[in-house]
Amino acid sequence: MSEPYIGVSRPRVDAPDKVTGATRYAADGYVHGLLHARLVLSTEAHARIRAVHREDALAMPGVVAVLVAADLPLATTGTDRTAEPLAREEVVFAGQPVAMVIGETQAAAEDASELVFVELDSLQPVVDLEEAMRPGAALARLVEEAEGGGDLESIHAGVDHGRADADQEQLSGNVLDRVHRTNGDAAAAIDASDSVVSGTFRTPWVYQAYIEPQVSTAWLEPSGTLVVSTSTQGSFVTRSELARAFGLSLDRIRVVAEPLGGAFGGKFALVEPLAAGAALALRRPVRLVLTRREDFQATNPASAQVTHLRVGARKDGTFTGIEARMLVDRGSNAGWGVEGITSSLVAGPYRWQAHDVVGYGIQTNRFTFGAYRAPGAPTAAFALESLLDELAQALGLDPIELRLKNAVVEGDMGIGGNPFPTIGAVEVLEQVRDHPLWAARSTLPDDEGIGVAAGYWPGGNEPAAAVCRVDTDGTMTVVTSAVDMSGVDSGFVVIAAAAFGLSPDKVRVVHADTATGPYAGASGGSKVTYTVGRAVEGAARAARVKVLAAASQELEIAPDDLEVVDGVVRAVGAPGRSITVEELAKKTLRFGGRYEPIEGHGGSAQTVGAPSVAAHLSHVRVDRETGEVELLRHVVAQDVGRALNPALVEGQMRGGAVQGIGWALFEQLDHDEDGHLLTGSFLDYAVPVAERVPEIDTLIVEVPAPDGPFGAKGIGEAPVVAAAPAIANAVAAATGARLHELPMTPARVWRALRS
Amino acid sequence: MIPAATRYERASDLDHALELLAEPDAKAIAGGQSLIPVMKLRIARPSVVVDISRLEFRGVDVRGDELHIGPLTTWDELLDVPEFGRPALAAIPECARGIGDLQLRNMGTIGGGLAHADPASDMPAVLLTLGAALELRSPDGERTVPVADFILGPFTSTLADRELITDIAVPTPLPGSGSAYVSVEHPASGFALAGAAALVGPDGGARVAVTGIAGRPFLLAGDDHRTALETADVFGDRFASAEYRRELASVVVRRAVERASQRAKEDS
Ligand SMILES: Cc1cc2nc3c(=O)[nH]c(=O)nc-3n(C[C@H](O)[C@H](O)[C@H](O)COP(=O)(O)OP(=O)(O)OC[C@H]3O[C@@H](n4cnc5c(N)ncnc54)[C@H](O)[C@@H]3O)c2cc1C
Repeated sequence: MSEPYIGVSRPRVDAPDKVTGATRYAADGYVHGLLHARLVLSTEAHARIRAVHREDALAMPGVVAVLVAADLPLATTGTDRTAEPLAREEVVFAGQPVAMVIGETQAAAEDASELVFVELDSLQPVVDLEEAMRPGAALARLVEEAEGGGDLESIHAGVDHGRADADQEQLSGNVLDRVHRTNGDAAAAIDASDSVVSGTFRTPWVYQAYIEPQVSTAWLEPSGTLVVSTSTQGSFVTRSELARAFGLSLDRIRVVAEPLGGAFGGKFALVEPLAAGAALALRRPVRLVLTRREDFQATNPASAQVTHLRVGARKDGTFTGIEARMLVDRGSNAGWGVEGITSSLVAGPYRWQAHDVVGYGIQTNRFTFGAYRAPGAPTAAFALESLLDELAQALGLDPIELRLKNAVVEGDMGIGGNPFPTIGAVEVLEQVRDHPLWAARSTLPDDEGIGVAAGYWPGGNEPAAAVCRVDTDGTMTVVTSAVDMSGVDSGFVVIAAAAFGLSPDKVRVVHADTATGPYAGASGGSKVTYTVGRAVEGAARAARVKVLAAASQELEIAPDDLEVVDGVVRAVGAPGRSITVEELAKKTLRFGGRYEPIEGHGGSAQTVGAPSVAAHLSHVRVDRETGEVELLRHVVAQDVGRALNPALVEGQMRGGAVQGIGWALFEQLDHDEDGHLLTGSFLDYAVPVAERVPEIDTLIVEVPAPDGPFGAKGIGEAPVVAAAPAIANAVAAATGARLHELPMTPARVWRALRS
Repeated sequence: MIPAATRYERASDLDHALELLAEPDAKAIAGGQSLIPVMKLRIARPSVVVDISRLEFRGVDVRGDELHIGPLTTWDELLDVPEFGRPALAAIPECARGIGDLQLRNMGTIGGGLAHADPASDMPAVLLTLGAALELRSPDGERTVPVADFILGPFTSTLADRELITDIAVPTPLPGSGSAYVSVEHPASGFALAGAAALVGPDGGARVAVTGIAGRPFLLAGDDHRTALETADVFGDRFASAEYRRELASVVVRRAVERASQRAKEDS
């Protein structure tokens, strides 16, 4: 394929504004008469609220109100974060918002928030995941869940969920969900294998660590419409969540998604119900900007997980059976968890003869679980890919050849019960096999090792629409409601340019809100370029039909004999007979004009996903005396379908790898036995800062997605999946020590080396 | 993360600073890298912050057989002091280079770091091995306190309310000495999980101090460092147990002594 503009690296369209500080984020907008909210968070992980004393706070100068749940005009009785933005009777994690102080200034609200005294009657905190699921365990929530969640649940359910069942197993009331998938007799298949490996793998709660903390501003228009200007991944889902919370009709709410300062799965209607609730209660504009400490404590990080896994293979490396028991910590999220996703991804991009996997969603008194880049995938890959290395060792096979032998191709059955669509598992594994770093394995100094791992993300689907409009200056505007979370705008520009026949320099993207825009779902699931991009392609083609119709009249040539090249419509084979798009546009958008505006609307509704596979090589050096792991080099090979803008794709691959490095070596939200967060600041919570990240090679593999725009697919999530096991396998190669828990902190590596 | 209301005054000279510090709950501010965070957390609520950053106690000079480091010298400024080019004093820039990040090193001062008395701060270990002493001045006069007696425990020092560090005096090591600083850092804060400074003299004897593992940085008594560490009261937490920190300490001590010994051969 050789479409113009596609596959050319160019700067992100949002970069100039961002690097010069011109971008106005959600906390920057000026709103007349704005009030500022400050949260009062629960200091205990599990307690009943006896009273909230607010007199002292209210007596402070500049304080307008101190709000508790009963003061918000809520139409709900449930216990999810939309239905219960402030705790009603029971607090279920330390950091849960209990009250909100509203001040004329942020400082006044902060001063007064110290004076709000929340009287709590302690209840037993449930913090141990394995203990929580035992029959008879103390419950993490005593007040019954009254109603189900709203649209958020269905968003996250987008990825295959298996079947929820309830065999005879005895479980405590903390187990909210049990997803069980079987095919054949896995135990027998494993027992009959030539080699069997098993292990228990643990991963902690992990924070999304976006740069911009959560923020939302809400006000009422004179007409009564609730307007929410916010940092979110999805404007329409935020609108429906607010409608549910406050019993408003959709047309009474307008959600404006402002430029996003990072989200990674964490920004879904958490703070909007708070800001909107205050604005509705007080009928004044209210802004809530979380501090970093609040953002650590009161939001929705990725859940901790315990995975028991057993796999087998025949002498020649053919995989036999896989058995998994996966305990997923949902914290206080009764609505959804990743037990469904993780228990399907634990099989990896491989063929198995039989499987028996079960995932449990368990409530505890830690946070409210939320999505984080490829939710449920890094945890599953850490377990599986670690064991595959052990299997290779036991069988005396090369780890990459072992994986290649079992890698799925299109049509192979996934354990979710659906056949895999086009997938580049073999291709990316071949790329890392042929990389010089893999060959360097045999000539390493002591204490160095190179590890490999692969993982995939299935990709998501959701119908979407977009609009493309050509102005009288010959430039095109793409109108979308999709939030640009990872550079998707820059992809849209190239898609529209190529589909229409206009230089990308002449295309810009504008973001519409829920009142004005064509529909686009939340940015997440690696589906925006794949689905909204497809709609943009359709819109640009529809606009092209209009420009050809006008040109056909002007040039007196049939549309079929015309082409649009770089902003010029010309006769195929006779480029001298031409007219520019600009001239044509000038003839349309004016009083008495003769042609329909050069404007198109496009939609998409793919039903087949486009999974993306990424394989990693990691080269480490381990200090045996201190346990420190130093990354020397890292390689990512990823199937991206089609690299619309290779620079952007590489950025995503690097970013994903870096967050995977965070999972591997640094990140953990740790609580004490009472459920108090111990690592609630960047002085305690380590992220992979620049000096700790090695050079990362990116190898782009293009296996076109049949249903994606120009073959492109979603690529944001796949590169994070298998980075951690590649590093774990490298540590094992360097030292012989196998770590079963993330992150691989120096103390853990040191201990593993001593045992 | 908004500090409680406070006032700001800039001191024009030492007397002015001490006068401003007479107000109850007044607090001196140098680079603000430790004070501002604790103010934002509202752990510190000074009535007034007295900006001492324009006072003259900045830079390094040699007087007699002592080096004098002004307490307002920033970490970054310690990196290219000609006197510290000597292998005997190499630990100072080596240590300063590993502190925080560039922004922190451009603002944070050595005096502020000492006064803050973080039990895991790096430089006190180096100053302990070098036998440094602090000059403190208050309205009552002037006193000299060895670094070993200055830091009493976590975030506590002998500093009185209206007292400022005005000088850090470091005895010039004998020719043929070498110094080094080696640490294993906490990956988030960058503070030492265990850090060790060593000064090896021309006779091969080593003076060693450790930081990060106890309530304050301390000198190891005697020549048998391993035994000294085994009897030390070592702190542990969920990230790094006492057992692990003790082991780390013995590793960094050994490495610091090795490196300092190596340097001693190059010193003249
Ligand atoms: C992100 C970050 C990373 C860091 N990493 C490290 C690290 O790796 N290793 C390490 O050792 N440290 C580290 N630090 C601490 C840092 O070294 C200190 O914050 C800094 O040196 C303090 O100096 P300052 O001038 O900013 O002091 P300020 O914040 O201005 O003051 C701190 C305290 O000292 C008092 N004070 C200041 N100057 C004087 C004086 N002359 N006389 C008397 N009292 C005085 C103040 O009243 C205040 O109580 C880090 C800090 C941050 C924020």
